[in-house]
Amino acid sequence: MFWKKKQIESKLVTQSIAESELSIEALKKSLTQMDDAEFVEIDISDIRKIHLVYIRTLIDQENLNESIIKPLTNCSKPSIQDCIVNSSIIPNHIFIEAKTKLFSGSVLLFDSSQNLWLAVPLKNPTGRAIETSETETILFGAKDSFSEQVEQNITLIRRRLPIHELKTEKFTVGSMSKTSVVLMYIEGLTNPEFVSTVKEKISEINFDLFFDSSQVAAFLEEHQNSIFPQFQQTDRPDVVAYSLGIGKITLLVDNTPFALVAPITFFHLFQSPEDYINRWVVASFLRIIRYVCFILSVALIPVYVALTTHHYQMIPIQTLLVLVESRSKLPFTPFWEAFIMLIFIEIIKEASLRMPTKTGQTLGVIGGIVIGQAAVEAGFASKVLIVMVGISTIASFLIPNYLMTKANSLIQLMLLVFSSLLGIIGIALGSIAILAHLNSMSSIKQPYLSPVSPFFGKDWVDLFIRGPLVKMLERPEHLKPLKLKRYKTRR
Amino acid sequence: MMMGTHQLFKKNETYNGLYAMLLVNRLQMLYFFLIMPNILINPYMIWVLIAVGLLSQLNLLLLSKWLLTRLSSNGYNGFVQLFGKKLVRFLSFIGLFFILLKISVITLGFSEIVQTFILPSTDTNFLVFFILLLCFYVAGRGVEHTIRFVLISFFCTFWMITFFVFFVFPPIAQLSDLYPLIPMEWKVENWKAVFLILSSYSGPEFLVFLGPWLKTNNKTFRYLSYGNALTVVEYVFLFIASLFYFGSNFLSKTQYPIINMGRYLQNPVFERIDIMMLSFLLFNLVFAVSLFLLLFYGASKIAFGKMSKPTSGKGLLFSVFLIFIGMVLVNELFWKSWEKQNFLLNLQIIAGSISYFLVPLVIVLVMKKEGVKKHAST
Repeated sequence: MFWKKKQIESKLVTQSIAESELSIEALKKSLTQMDDAEFVEIDISDIRKIHLVYIRTLIDQENLNESIIKPLTNCSKPSIQDCIVNSSIIPNHIFIEAKTKLFSGSVLLFDSSQNLWLAVPLKNPTGRAIETSETETILFGAKDSFSEQVEQNITLIRRRLPIHELKTEKFTVGSMSKTSVVLMYIEGLTNPEFVSTVKEKISEINFDLFFDSSQVAAFLEEHQNSIFPQFQQTDRPDVVAYSLGIGKITLLVDNTPFALVAPITFFHLFQSPEDYINRWVVASFLRIIRYVCFILSVALIPVYVALTTHHYQMIPIQTLLVLVESRSKLPFTPFWEAFIMLIFIEIIKEASLRMPTKTGQTLGVIGGIVIGQAAVEAGFASKVLIVMVGISTIASFLIPNYLMTKANSLIQLMLLVFSSLLGIIGIALGSIAILAHLNSMSSIKQPYLSPVSPFFGKDWVDLFIRGPLVKMLERPEHLKPLKLKRYKTRR
Repeated sequence: MMMGTHQLFKKNETYNGLYAMLLVNRLQMLYFFLIMPNILINPYMIWVLIAVGLLSQLNLLLLSKWLLTRLSSNGYNGFVQLFGKKLVRFLSFIGLFFILLKISVITLGFSEIVQTFILPSTDTNFLVFFILLLCFYVAGRGVEHTIRFVLISFFCTFWMITFFVFFVFPPIAQLSDLYPLIPMEWKVENWKAVFLILSSYSGPEFLVFLGPWLKTNNKTFRYLSYGNALTVVEYVFLFIASLFYFGSNFLSKTQYPIINMGRYLQNPVFERIDIMMLSFLLFNLVFAVSLFLLLFYGASKIAFGKMSKPTSGKGLLFSVFLIFIGMVLVNELFWKSWEKQNFLLNLQIIAGSISYFLVPLVIVLVMKKEGVKKHAST
């Protein structure tokens, strides 16, 4: 009861501050016990005094003198707004608006003679420079990648799409983090349904902290319990620009280098930026290899378990001899043998991500050679299984999307259980369950298994293969673009 | 959430002729085509396959007439307008029996094949349980997604027929195996074969209930025909291949000729291609049974007068549970005994023939009587 009363009182106080008139005293009261809050007075004439309020750690201090103090001291015009470039008036002296600007890196100016409040954006530019992408590395093509600053990321996209139709709409999410989210789309090309869906979802977000785009995505996804990502996360501006160009939307989230692209399909997760750089035959071959590797990574070990547990008759006699010899002294059933090895591989993968680069090499040696060989010699695993685990692990790394790689392991374990129960039939049942799940999924209300189900025949030119660019004259139909043709005039 | 309250029969989108075509084809390629050559035996039955295929074409014409009416896109209300509430309830009740019989025969038949060829030590009830569990999951996504699953089912199964190309070339193929192409005498058993063929072609009659989800226009009949024609080609091709492989004399001796032919195929990695093929066939079975489960659930709601209550996952689960209990009983009492299994197969052959023959015909006759016209193409 007491707690509730206190909560109501505190709410009332906050509300009254939010609605209160903006004044230096109110700001001082609000910014108590903040060492980096600065209140400065500048006398520009005998009768004119300007108050500066800013958060030292958030603004560009080196620029403060050049952009504000010098112009102020030399100001001879009646309004200080005319002396300072880029300043904006805070309407009606709304306290909460001034505070929002203050904490987003603006300097607040108060001209007591005119009772005028101004905000001058002077955000601290400290941040990472443009570097090469570490998650989506390519041999050829652009090397730049996004950083944590959203404005810089917009610049990188605008450089690639210098058109006025490229729209940016800003939203703020997170009651505490006040994270900026920028929605980008090409007007007149992107289906307005996507834009309105995303806007609606963003407006429904009610949470306190957002430090990464994946956290924003979690609130926008339609299938929270699915292991499959419904937004493509990328830190490559060329990928984002291409996606925008074919009719998708993009969300840039401040303080994270990963943009969110939607709507995506299951097949987008297998596309690499290099696909559009390589010659089409090579690109198609590599894409097919990726699909094959996905199947290998999820099904190879379950097939091994199915064959060794239920269907010895499927294995050719020469291979069978090798397999029987390899498994003859093992104490575990194929399922447990495979399960232990897969868990072990997951431990190595996770450890290699957390360890410093130099020790990571040691881990590779210990994990790959010492433990792998020792497991065979100690009789815990067969040589054949070690080879298969190696192949499936390497195959899983061919999938360009990191989130999909993580989903792989879970699919593999699920199929493993099914295969030990019902052999190949179990794998088929598991595959049907996965496909049925994918078939019912959506990304911003668009079918996740397009253009296979629902079927869009023309889009198959950039699905399992990457057709010649000169033949890809239309944008993917399943993205419902307002402009289907990619060329300007009739050919 | 696994499934929303109103999700099962919701209608957000409609599917074009391609889906109608695939629905017809995949619903005709269920269990019977696997045992068909064993009953057809004589090469001249090729003509019967084609003739019944043409008859099936007529049924599809009637079916398309119904699909083109506004009543068909109204679903349950359309049927009520056509037959009246009481008669719809009665027909739904009868429909439950037909659906249950069809689900039982195709699932138990497939489970028996899996037991025979892949998992000899596994009880068929255990297989039925897993298949139904998966079908419940697929059906739980709703009618829309289940219809869309036909594409996945098609892509995962249609290519398998290409494996049988090896059988129509020498040294296996001998043209003499295809004689006589003209019957010298007509045996009583041949009638069973005719009905089996008619029953094999059955399945598309269930499309009458999918009107709300199908985008119909003047081309609908054409697409339905494509699906049927594809089935005719597949049936004839498989029958000819089995005649080449076994010859007429030995065809009656093998219970599952198509799968035994699959056993003959091998590659350097897997020796038993038939195991892989049967696993892929599961896609089609799961698709069909999922669709039938939804129809069973919908029909049971109508039959028991529960249409005012919203559909629910629990209701579907209860239907699946009842079907599972029913199938275990049918398996234990009928299927496991060869003679009784034959009775059940004959029952399905007759029931399939009747339902395929009567459903479109009765609907069109009543339509004529009630003066229902087809609506403008969409």
